[in-house]
Amino acid sequence: MSSSARTAPVVLGIDVGSTTVKAVALDPETLDVLWCDYQRHQTKQPEMVVEMLETIEAAFPASPRDAWRVFMTGSGALPLCAGLGAKFVQEVNAVTLAVEHKHPDVGSVIELGGQDAKIIMFQTDEDGRKTAAPSMNDKCASGTGATIDKCMIKVGLPPEAVRALVFDPSKLHHVAAKCGVFAETDIVNLVKSGIPAAEILCSLADAIVLQNLSVLTRGSTLKPRVLLLGGPNTYLPFLQACWRHRIPEIWEERNFAWPKDRPIEETVFVPDNAQYYAAFGACVYGQHEAEEIGRYRGLDGLRDYMQNGRKARLGASAGPPLVKSSDEVETFRSLYAIPRFSPPPLTAGQIVRAVIGLDGGSTSSKAVLVDEDGEIVAKAYQLSKGNPIQDAKELLTQLRDHVEGQGARLEVLGFGATGYAADVLEQCVLADVNVVETVAHMMSAVKYFGDVDVICDIGGQDIKVLFMKNGDIANFRLSNSCSAGNGMLLQAMADQFGLKVTEYAQTAFQAELSPKFSYGCAVFLDTDRVNFQKEGFSKEELLAGLAQVLPKNVWQYVVQIPRLASLGRRFVLQGGTQYNLAAVKAQVDYIKERVPDADVFVHPHTGEAGALGAAFETLRVVKRRGRSTFIGIDAAIALDYESRTDDTTTCHFCPNECKRTFIDTHRPDGSTARYIAGFSCEKGTVESHEAMLELVAERKKIARAFPNLVDYEARRAFQHFYEPEPIPHEGTPIRTYEIRKGFLGTKRVAIERPFQRATPEAQARLKRVRIGMPRVLNMYSTAPYFRHYFEALGVPKQNVVFSDETSEEMWVEGGKYGSIDPCFPSKVAQAHVHNLLFHQHQPDKGKPLNYIFFPVLTHVPSFIEGVMDKTSCPIVAGAPEVMKAAFTKEIDFFAQRGIEYVDPALTFGEPHLTARRMFECFGPRLGITEDENDHAHAEGMRALAAFEADLQEKGRAILETVESEDRMALLVVGRPYHSDPGLNHGIPEEFQVLGYPVLSVRSLPRDPEYLARYFKDEVARGQSPLDINDVWPENYSANSSQKVWAVKFATRHPNVALLDLSSFKCGHDAPVYGLIDSLVTTAGAPYAALHDIDANKPGGSIKIRVKTYAHSLKLHQEALEDEARKKRALQFSLEQKRLELLERKRAQLSQLRRDDASLDAEIERLAERLRAYAPAPVAPEPTPGLIQISERLADGRRAPASL
Amino acid sequence: MRLDPQNEVLTTDAGEDWRQAIDAELNAWEQAERERLGLRQARRQWVDEMLTPEVKREERETITLLVSGLTAAQDFLVEGALRGVGYNVKYIGMPDQAGLQAGKEFGNRGQCNPTYFTVGNLIKYLIELRDVQGLSTEQIIRDYVFFTAGACGPCRFGMYVTEYRKALRDSGFDGFRVVLFQQQGGLAQATGEEVGIELNPKFFIALIQALCAGDVLNAIAYRIRPYEVNAGETNRVVEDCKRLLYKALQARSNIFAALWQCRKRLAAVPVDRLRPKAKVAIIGEFWAMTTEGDGNYHLQKFLEQEGGENDIQLTTAWLLYNVWEVERDTRVRRDLRQADGGRLGLADYSPLAVSKRLAMMRLADRGLRLMFEAFAQPIGLTKYPLPNMDEIAEIAAPFYSNDLRGGEGHMEVGKLIYNVVHAKAHMTLSVKPFGCMPSSGVSDGVQSLVQTRFPGSIYCAVETSGDGATNFYSRVQMYMFKARIAAEQELVETYASCGVTEDEVRAFLAKNPKYASPLHVPPHVGACTAANLVREVAPLIRQTRAERAAARTRGALERVGSMLRAAPDKARAAAAWAQDDATRERLSADVALVRELAQGGARDAFAPLLRKLGAGGLVPDAKA
Repeated sequence: MSSSARTAPVVLGIDVGSTTVKAVALDPETLDVLWCDYQRHQTKQPEMVVEMLETIEAAFPASPRDAWRVFMTGSGALPLCAGLGAKFVQEVNAVTLAVEHKHPDVGSVIELGGQDAKIIMFQTDEDGRKTAAPSMNDKCASGTGATIDKCMIKVGLPPEAVRALVFDPSKLHHVAAKCGVFAETDIVNLVKSGIPAAEILCSLADAIVLQNLSVLTRGSTLKPRVLLLGGPNTYLPFLQACWRHRIPEIWEERNFAWPKDRPIEETVFVPDNAQYYAAFGACVYGQHEAEEIGRYRGLDGLRDYMQNGRKARLGASAGPPLVKSSDEVETFRSLYAIPRFSPPPLTAGQIVRAVIGLDGGSTSSKAVLVDEDGEIVAKAYQLSKGNPIQDAKELLTQLRDHVEGQGARLEVLGFGATGYAADVLEQCVLADVNVVETVAHMMSAVKYFGDVDVICDIGGQDIKVLFMKNGDIANFRLSNSCSAGNGMLLQAMADQFGLKVTEYAQTAFQAELSPKFSYGCAVFLDTDRVNFQKEGFSKEELLAGLAQVLPKNVWQYVVQIPRLASLGRRFVLQGGTQYNLAAVKAQVDYIKERVPDADVFVHPHTGEAGALGAAFETLRVVKRRGRSTFIGIDAAIALDYESRTDDTTTCHFCPNECKRTFIDTHRPDGSTARYIAGFSCEKGTVESHEAMLELVAERKKIARAFPNLVDYEARRAFQHFYEPEPIPHEGTPIRTYEIRKGFLGTKRVAIERPFQRATPEAQARLKRVRIGMPRVLNMYSTAPYFRHYFEALGVPKQNVVFSDETSEEMWVEGGKYGSIDPCFPSKVAQAHVHNLLFHQHQPDKGKPLNYIFFPVLTHVPSFIEGVMDKTSCPIVAGAPEVMKAAFTKEIDFFAQRGIEYVDPALTFGEPHLTARRMFECFGPRLGITEDENDHAHAEGMRALAAFEADLQEKGRAILETVESEDRMALLVVGRPYHSDPGLNHGIPEEFQVLGYPVLSVRSLPRDPEYLARYFKDEVARGQSPLDINDVWPENYSANSSQKVWAVKFATRHPNVALLDLSSFKCGHDAPVYGLIDSLVTTAGAPYAALHDIDANKPGGSIKIRVKTYAHSLKLHQEALEDEARKKRALQFSLEQKRLELLERKRAQLSQLRRDDASLDAEIERLAERLRAYAPAPVAPEPTPGLIQISERLADGRRAPASL
Repeated sequence: MRLDPQNEVLTTDAGEDWRQAIDAELNAWEQAERERLGLRQARRQWVDEMLTPEVKREERETITLLVSGLTAAQDFLVEGALRGVGYNVKYIGMPDQAGLQAGKEFGNRGQCNPTYFTVGNLIKYLIELRDVQGLSTEQIIRDYVFFTAGACGPCRFGMYVTEYRKALRDSGFDGFRVVLFQQQGGLAQATGEEVGIELNPKFFIALIQALCAGDVLNAIAYRIRPYEVNAGETNRVVEDCKRLLYKALQARSNIFAALWQCRKRLAAVPVDRLRPKAKVAIIGEFWAMTTEGDGNYHLQKFLEQEGGENDIQLTTAWLLYNVWEVERDTRVRRDLRQADGGRLGLADYSPLAVSKRLAMMRLADRGLRLMFEAFAQPIGLTKYPLPNMDEIAEIAAPFYSNDLRGGEGHMEVGKLIYNVVHAKAHMTLSVKPFGCMPSSGVSDGVQSLVQTRFPGSIYCAVETSGDGATNFYSRVQMYMFKARIAAEQELVETYASCGVTEDEVRAFLAKNPKYASPLHVPPHVGACTAANLVREVAPLIRQTRAERAAARTRGALERVGSMLRAAPDKARAAAAWAQDDATRERLSADVALVRELAQGGARDAFAPLLRKLGAGGLVPDAKA
């Protein structure tokens, strides 16, 4: 029967998704599909729904409208339901019902949507009833369609080509799918490294699949058959292939019986008409509802909502607009619009003597030509093409053509580079200057605005905020790998509406209100954007709202200093984003609201600030040196290079097998420079095995010269370094206590009795028992105790086994079991337990593990005095329980291998309770007596004390050395487990190779006499130097307290600089961020932080931090040296003065005819000393910072500033 | 003779004094030289100046205590109760989105949203006092004090007092006083020191009354609201009741009479208890599950809209958990061969003091339960068993160590198991702030194992981040659908198994209004209230009086039989108990405690509990 002839009612299912509307009309009796269609809604959801319903009405002219029922589902459906009389059905319920109806044999469903991802796992209970366990990734866009869409654009492949891609698991690169933004950053880096597009997309698919398999399944195993749904799964065969590759892999790993005789395409499959499942399921849901539910009320209600309801709802929740009147726009524009740059005209034959500054940025590259007077002659700009040499050649050509095009002649005096291209340019064109971006930006801002307080640079991918003091960077904040709030966000938003970013401001200024975005993560912002759009906000309003988020992201999310006024009052805004006046307006309003007397400047060459900084520095360096190393502009433009990416360039130094690109440039003098791109770690920087060995040897040499106690501590904690006392013989008299219960309670009575030993069998067994412990979390604080406890009992030291150090390979292999997503240090515990189960347990080699011991450590050792408590972080303490759940949930991996998992609760705040608990745990298991346990416990505690003492001794040696040599040492403040090189990403080592000895918190000497020197105020008021109650009385957390104390120490020790490491999501570090900031800021101690450390190593972000911090450390070291010189000069001057005074006294006495033999002797000694003293001449006061700061005089001229 | 008229120091030649004069001269020289050479001054060091807020006795009349943080009813009643004991009190309202924004702006990054919401709520209020009401900052700092419990313990929220100081400083209210319960020294206050906020028994009792009254009113309202025939009527009546109770607390008149008045009003709300509602047990992080505003997206209201009947967690139950913690921590340390120091160690306690502390906790547990019943009965809240803390701990222990603290500790896991095993709810919903350390970071990981061990449980874990409400609702709805189907099925099956129809039950209820009363609670068999009612009344419909009498007799006989069978064992156990040292110790401690209480000298014994209670929700904003 045709639809036009149908006289019976229909039931409609409408799925309003983030990009499309899908609708089906079914026969309510049979659920046969009578009509279906889907359309992209271009964010006009209600309009599209009306259009489709009109089509359906036209298709069923004879069917009685009042008997129709409508069920709607999808992220955009809810606000539309009321108008139509429809019933809203939650998407997962709809999909579940559709799948149950159509595929009763399906065991799991994976649906990737635009903004979310869902996995449904069906379980059949004892009564044969099927229940669905859904899991939804709804907050974070990790592993969703939106990420794929964005990355497809970045890779630059057309959709047809993407659809034709074939999944190749042999060439995969690292992509962090944990967060959509992280993934994008990785993709951009891969593109720049010249990795083929197909490999990048396959890597992305793989990362997304693994992310969903590890997080969304919450550690459960998908049961066949597996149904793939959602746009990306339906349209991207390479993604389907990736699922088909990875899912069976997990089944194999977990010994899961899956139908191997069936083609995998049938086991993991995409059904026909997959896009309609949710709409169809909504109708099935309707079958469960009473007759009157979901009655179709026609289109009037929805039309009314479109005209009136939508706007009315918005008013209440909206915030103010960016500007209130057009006058305000004009005034603002006149004050802040960046003047158009017109290069000064050149005359034919003119000789232009200038330096070149080049900024090879992440998305675009810029170059400037600056003459000897610091005036800009020309600018060049282009989007980066992934090859820094080609980019530079093209930029230089632009500059040369500009000059020569006007008949002038260019004489290049020098060349300086900054940005990611700086390293390669330094090598191949012998740049005069290679300066880190932050410093370049600082120089440029200071040049134009003199004594500024804050420089805020917002680029395409990152935010840099520099706090200035005395004309140099006193401190800085950089956005982490998370790109929340950068220029790209605004760009992407403009793109969404098909606007050019240059039209952003004028559009946003038209809004009369703005939606209130929550600030922070860029992905959440995009989710907000979709929601606001659904609510009916216009593009003008959305653009205005998003511009207003920008300052919040900068000041509250990245900078985190709420009282802006404390930073000063002169602010410079720079970076490409400042071309967008809407962003500038939001920033200026935000700053002025908090610092009413602020001067906010916008850099006149905002996009080229970095390049200008490089140019100014080049001018200074070349002038000072008197010559340039640059190979010359013509030679640079003519630079011959070859780029090669093939099997010969693959790095084999680790299992990552990075497919590198070698760019070989041939300089005019015949020499060659090789630039290697596309590697993920330092090992990739060398070409051969010999070179690798050389690199390692070189680093080792430096490491020996500059000790790294973080690294030492991480290794030492797990080694055997203490010989426990042997267990006393049976019957040896011991003094102990006995518990006697009486009428008035439990009494402890001191007694002497013979020592009790275990049976000979038990003692013999101890020689064979093998115990595995994960090298993770609190074990970094306590491992010496546990190792030596077992050794003291008689377990051979080789039988006390720790898992390997955290590494990326270990994480990839063992990270799929967890059901939750906490901080990386906790999450990685599963990889360690996995390592013990699958690698350290070697029964075939006669080395089985009998126990995996992972104690719940509720309290950890702490040396801070007078604390509220010594608790461990609850996540860290609870990790052993989570691991137990993860590895016993479906399959008991321990039982399978005959291993017992033991996780007693222990508290290092209470040693006697710990001893008792160890006995309760191991007494029955190892057959030991409580006396033996107590002996082993005491030995374990001694080992722990020896470990701490050793660290302190080494720390003290370093401190005394740097003090005597006027050098800086770097103190890494983190939690003890940040010593794990897999967690700290080798950052301490970066500083070590720069020549700074590295201290750990626990290596700081705690000897009261030593500390009294630095904690004078505390000692004076009777407070222990190890007490932190004057800054933080809520000191419950042991590791946070130690961290705060270490910062206190560093602010009191002039030779100690701080490096603060903190993990993403760390809840115990959060309360002390503000404290540490107050301590460091008040004292003006050198400080850098890398917060939000996670599984992926943000190489670029680390590099820029290390370089910037190295710059300030260098300045601090210079200041220390100056200070020492001045102190010596002071000493000399004082002695001289004393001599002078004494001599005058002697003269006075002699006039009185009096002698004083002791005075004569004293004068003689002093004169002798002074004769031997050859003071170094006090150098003239060095220019503060790198740039001479000038200030504007009353007559408008500039003169050196008096600081 | 003067050698140098410009330089007095050398003019003296008496004894060795000239040496001192030279030193003084050198000091002055050094200062000048330091300046000339540009030697840096010693670094300044930061100390927190806001650590010891004081409220003096003479300020009591002029200061206003600001409170907030629990359920709407409790916050409102706390205001009334504290006014009743002579303080100016102002409830500053349920934390909302604007509070969250203020909290995020002035707080540390990476905090959890209960911290942002509660801290931000105070900042928002102070900013409003300054910018809208026009008070000067000095006035605000002088005239207002935020009164809260100092939290303790290992999670972020446990350290949130740090955050108050930071946010106050950064928002320009440097020096504003946040007075902590413990800082005032608990009952030690009663020694007569001249302090502004006197935490004497009168104060305590007022506070406990407000919390208990709020608890019972909330509990009964959540029982009635899903079944109300006239939409909105329960809320109107609850508002009336709140005012009644407020008046009674403020006037310090008979609170039980006020509760009785409330009962009458509540009993008049017509309900239809045959609606199949999904029973949803709300567990999770204390603040997220307690607040009733933006902090959890009005979760309770949303669940009711979606066809749920909420089983909420009461503040009293939280207090019982605090008591349990002290009791357990003491018990496990009592028999150590040597006592440890530290916060939980018993090094400073004599054997008798340890026994007394245990006795104290027994008394506190019973006392709380008794108090709760004393409030519950008059308002008509019957058959509302408070959880047995030992049982929850015991069933959770194989999955979640009882030693792990922070947030709800093992309770989340224990309650999920309890709900499944005892058919207490169709669905257990665990709500917690995004990234909550104990809940998202540990419990959720363990719950995945619990779910496989106890199949058939509908368990929904949701995080609140303060934004993204749509996704939150969507997720809850997804599970609510399953729970509703389960409730509907339970009711359908009950009709069938009891052999009655809905019409028959309705007819019966119309004739027997006692069973249709909003205060009537059918005996618990399954999770569905409607099904329980059907089970209760079906025999009354189907069976004759004689049949029912026979069935009752059969039941009674069976019970007697089983008692008799168990009697010898019980008698033996009782004899062993009576002869046990532990029993005698317990009795003697109880006696000692009662004697001390009678003599008014139990302050020391109270101290650890008070610290715990102070940290644990006795006053607004209090949790560990």
